[in-house]
Order: sequence, then C-alpha cells, then structure tokens
Amino acid sequence: MDCQEYISGYLAAHADSELSPSQLKGAEAHLGGCERCRSLLIRERAIKQAIRQQVRLNKAPAGLRLRIRSALKETPVPTVTGSGEWRRAGQHTHDLPRSEPVRPSMTRRLPPARVLIPVGITGALVLIIALATGRMIQPTEAMAGAAVPAFDVAIDKYLQFSREFQPNVPPEAYNGANGVLYAWVMDRNSVQPVANDDPESEDIARSYREIDMPDDLFDFSAAGYRIVGGRVDRLPNGRPVTYTMYQSDAGQIVSLCFSDSTMAAPIGAVDWLGMRSFYSYKGYSICLSFYPTGHFVSILVTRMPVEQLLREVANTDAVAISR
Amino acid sequence: MLCSQVHSMAVKAARAGDKRLLFEQIALPHLDAIYSAAIRLTRHRDDANDLVQETILRSFRSFHQFAKGTNCRAWLLTILYNNFRDRYRQNGREHPCTSGEIEEELEAHTLLADMSFNNPEELLSDRMLGRRIERALDELPEEFREALILVDVQELNYQEVADVLRIPLGTVKSRVSRARALMRSALIKLDCLRGKTGS
Repeated sequence: MDCQEYISGYLAAHADSELSPSQLKGAEAHLGGCERCRSLLIRERAIKQAIRQQVRLNKAPAGLRLRIRSALKETPVPTVTGSGEWRRAGQHTHDLPRSEPVRPSMTRRLPPARVLIPVGITGALVLIIALATGRMIQPTEAMAGAAVPAFDVAIDKYLQFSREFQPNVPPEAYNGANGVLYAWVMDRNSVQPVANDDPESEDIARSYREIDMPDDLFDFSAAGYRIVGGRVDRLPNGRPVTYTMYQSDAGQIVSLCFSDSTMAAPIGAVDWLGMRSFYSYKGYSICLSFYPTGHFVSILVTRMPVEQLLREVANTDAVAISR
Repeated sequence: MLCSQVHSMAVKAARAGDKRLLFEQIALPHLDAIYSAAIRLTRHRDDANDLVQETILRSFRSFHQFAKGTNCRAWLLTILYNNFRDRYRQNGREHPCTSGEIEEELEAHTLLADMSFNNPEELLSDRMLGRRIERALDELPEEFREALILVDVQELNYQEVADVLRIPLGTVKSRVSRARALMRSALIKLDCLRGKTGS
C-alpha cells in the first residue's frame, strides 16, 4: 500500500474505526513505515473530534416537546402481533453505538420488568376505581393517588431544609465564632466562607467525588438561584445520599442524589427533557433524572410551576467541577 | 361480568401506558438529535417542528418494529429522512432560503473562532473554533456535509448512514473521505485568509 492508496481509501475509515480487520492490518502495516500518514491520521482524528465538540445538537424547543407529548397521548398504542417479539423487518442487528457524552440527561437501561409491573398494576387499579365511579382520570391526575416513596422523601427533605439546612461538606467545615461556616479550602492560603455567604461549589463537588457520588451541580444562577450548600447523609439502607440546596428570593430548589438500581420513572410525567422526566406531585414540581452509570438517581423538588422548572433545567448545564 | 370487563380494560390501559412509557424512555432522549437533523434539512423552524412531530408519531406507531439493542437514533433518523424525502421534496421545498433566524440557531452552539490551525493539538485546544468549523462545513457540497454530520455529530456508523441516506456503503465511505479532505483544505485556507487580512 502506498500513501495515495492509504489517504484516498483508508484514512477516513481508519479515523472512524470502520476498517475491516484485514484492512486495518494493511493500514497499520503502512503506517508502521510512514510518518507522514501517521501524522495525517492524527490530524484526521483531530478534525473529527473538533467537529464533534464544536457542532452541537440543537435543543428541541419546549413548545415542540409539549406538542409531541400531547400528540402521543392522543395516538392509539399500536398492538404487537404474532409472538410479540419486537423486530425490525429487513434490518440486521447492530451493537449500540459509541457512548454519548456523560451527562445526567443520558440513556439509561430500562429497569427490570418486575419493577414496571407494580406501576402498571397501580395504574390499572386507579382506572378500575375511576370507571366504577363514573369518572375518567387523566394520567397525571391518576398519579395523585399513587404514592411515589422517593418523591415523598424528597418533599420531606424540602420541608425540613426550608426550616433549617445544615451543610456538612466539605468535611473540613467547622463553626466559626460568628456562626458562619468556614472551611480550609485546598490550595488556598486563607480560610474562605463556604456556606450562606459565599458558596464554594468546587468544594461541594469535591466532597461528593470523595465518597464516589456524582459531583454534578446545577447552575441555576441565571434564574437567580445560588448554591446554599451541600450535605451528605445515609439512607436507612446505609447508602450515601447527597443533598444540594439552591436558594433565591423566589424560593428554593433541593436536589437529592442517591443510588437505586430498581427505581423506574413513574407513569404520569407531565413532560420530559432527554432522560429527565417532570412531574406535578402533591403540589410540588419534581424533576427525576437517571445517570448512565452507577444506578444513580437525581431528584429536584421545588414549589415553582413544573413548566418553569423544566425551563430552568433546560437552560442550565450540570456544572462538572474539576473534570 | 362488569368487574371482569373493567379489569380487562384496566389491564389493557396499563399495558398501553407501559408501552408509551417504554417509547418515551427509549426514543425521546434522541429528540434533540432528530430536531437538529430536521433543522439542517428544512432550514425552516416551523417545517422542522412539523417534520419532527411527524417522525416521532410515525416511529411510535411502528415502534413494535424496532429491534431492541439496535441504534434507536439511527432508526429515528431513517424515518426522519424518509419523511423529508416524501413530504418536502414532493412539495418542491427541498432547499428553502436560509433565514437569518436559522443561521443563528445553527451557530447557537458553536463558539467564535479566530485561531490558527497549525497542529492537531492546537485544533483540539482551540476554544474559539466553532465558527471556523461551521464555515468549513457550509462550504462542503451538501451530500458530503450530510454524510459527515451523520458520522461525526450524530455518531452513526457507516452502515447506519447508508440506511438513512439510502446510498451504498461504498458511497458513504467515499463521501466521508472527501468531506474530511475538503475540511482539511478549508480550515487551512481559513487560516491563511486570516493571516493575510490580519483579522
């Protein structure tokens, strides 16, 4: 193989990992003796990565999402014939593509069917009651009677923290004489206030990382919310849970994050954004997110209208500190 | 009898809800990707919205045909492109004029660029590269740009691109190869132009 043949026939596919094993062998044999083509391959991969980084996907407008949601509700669910096995006629199976960027709004494996069944039965029971009483309940209203334990815990914590929130991360924090929490901040020479007056999201994220919890923090600053602080506790099952509190003049948002491999998104979401689903639950607005690894679940709870919560979440990127 | 009928209806309703939830969980995370493709195809926001909605509904109705474990994004894009070909090209709306609004939207997620491209490391570290990349992409012939974006932005493999665009696999390889070569030339040219104008 000469350089012209490699450049015209192999270079792009090599950068895209699309060469067959025999082609790859031939390409690598040529590169072994050709510094110029090795440099070209590096540059080809750099262009590919630059395109991927710079040309980002447009976000579908919230209005379009609402339209689609409404249209899906009105569309009859197609029935599966034959064995019920889902198949794609005329197509061969591919493995899943390269993983997408690691963000909370990522694809998550479906929970086991045994988790979906209880939710389905709950929905069925509600519908039975509705029909028996002569009322038809919309899906969102149906969830009003179906408790979601994780949401109830989130609301309890919201109420608790609205009365008093005691951050406990970073672990170096201690009570100063004037009642403001201080902490030694790594790589700094002076004591910095970390809570109430000057939140240090980097220290909160670091503390979460140290206990192997997700260190993503929402950036609601554009909406006027600041981070009040972070807290690490233990659930009754012994697993760690992180609480992050955001505060503005209009109210507060509490974020919970914990690991749960069995939790599924309850039926009744009023909207969704990627892998986040939004609910109106017992007078609160809830945003439920699933992480792609570690079975981590994030719950945002607030009193603001769910449409506003969706907008705020859509407008923010989870702040990945010190990645 | 009434109870059994009610129970049957309730179970069916519950199963229908599960199917709709399953579709939401598998397909809707790709909504931004579908919308991005629709914007690039139609160059018109309202048309893109209509195209996306039509695509989602059609995919929902045929979701039983989707093979679990395969690339859902590729499947949705295939339906999108089919819809676009069927609907918009028949109506003669293949290449509507680009509105400023859409140009802004296409550039909304890129950064201003004004640095030289001397080596790959600089390319990757160039924080202001977005506009140069978009400009170079805009200069590509449409068929090359389409293939390159499906590979590099939508992250489809060559066979999936072939399925979406309804072209042979060899044609995909050729278009991607030529697109990258043109990108290399365009980025170098932009760098040279910058050097000459001093801007």
